[in-house]
Amino acid sequence: MDYKLRKAEPKDVSDILRLVKELAKYEEMEHQVTLTEKELLEDGFGDTPFYHCIIAEIQGESSSDDPKVVGFAMYYFTYDPWVGKQLYLEEFYVMDEYRGLGIGSEILRHLSDLAMKTRCTGMMFVVAENNEPSVQFYKRRGAEDLSQEEGWRLFRFDKDSLVKMATPAEE
Amino acid sequence: MDFSIRAANVEDCKDIARMIMELAEYEKMADQVKVTQRDLEQDGFSKNPFFHGIVAEVPEQHRTKEGHTKIGYALYFYSYSSWIGRAVYMEDLYVMPEFRGKGIGKALMSKVAQLGLAAGCHQLNFTVLDWNKSSLDFYVSQGCVDVTASMGYHCMRCEGEALQNLAQP
Repeated sequence: MDYKLRKAEPKDVSDILRLVKELAKYEEMEHQVTLTEKELLEDGFGDTPFYHCIIAEIQGESSSDDPKVVGFAMYYFTYDPWVGKQLYLEEFYVMDEYRGLGIGSEILRHLSDLAMKTRCTGMMFVVAENNEPSVQFYKRRGAEDLSQEEGWRLFRFDKDSLVKMATPAEE
Repeated sequence: MDFSIRAANVEDCKDIARMIMELAEYEKMADQVKVTQRDLEQDGFSKNPFFHGIVAEVPEQHRTKEGHTKIGYALYFYSYSSWIGRAVYMEDLYVMPEFRGKGIGKALMSKVAQLGLAAGCHQLNFTVLDWNKSSLDFYVSQGCVDVTASMGYHCMRCEGEALQNLAQP
């Protein structure tokens, strides 16, 4: 099956949101997705994008059919003050029925190549420890588990805690 | 003790580089630091910065015996959650040992929170080493959640040869 990778465009936001929700469902977290198409549009295609996306699409059954978006990766650039720029892979998903065709590997290859071209020293991401297939997929490709090897734990302040922390204490 | 927090500028990179090294030594990973003062100047203070910084300063009369008045910093950048949108990531938070316990760390973190909220962020993320009990306790007391514990998220990295191999056709 022929597929093609390309940079996401504003018209892709509804497919991006669809795939985000599908992946969240796979992780049993669908109810946690509050992002909207409007936000994806403003945040990804404005003056200062917060994220970038590449899309995998396959040709329709006949030449008059629209191509179908079957996978994507969402990424942005971060900074490690010890080693410099990093490419952070926020989301990476290929629809179930289109797996095993090499789309995922090609997306990763494309992103790694991009990381090197933009002088990033590493590509970073987060994986849930119980997601065995994904953990193995990444470890096979040489990824290190920094949480396991160095003891890094990811901490988070949600919106309410963030607001509390941003309010100066009473003198 | 009197102190002030302000946005970092390019002249602060010498002190920031110094404190990055101090923090890395505290984290027992000083040999991993490759970024130089010049890298910080280029990466943080050019047209498209890869990070932002804030610095904590004390007045001259409280300077350290080496003469430093810049005694704490935080580095942060904007990130994105595919579930909730805009987020801010606090990469480093550090106060020199003799200035701890005075609310400076809390003030730095509060400033990052304010800046993040002003930019429309819904979340502040950062990492902590599992043996760093005093930091773990401080963060939990401020109301944050250990996402590694609650959701089993592990931080992963592909670098060096592994990254090069991945990039091969």
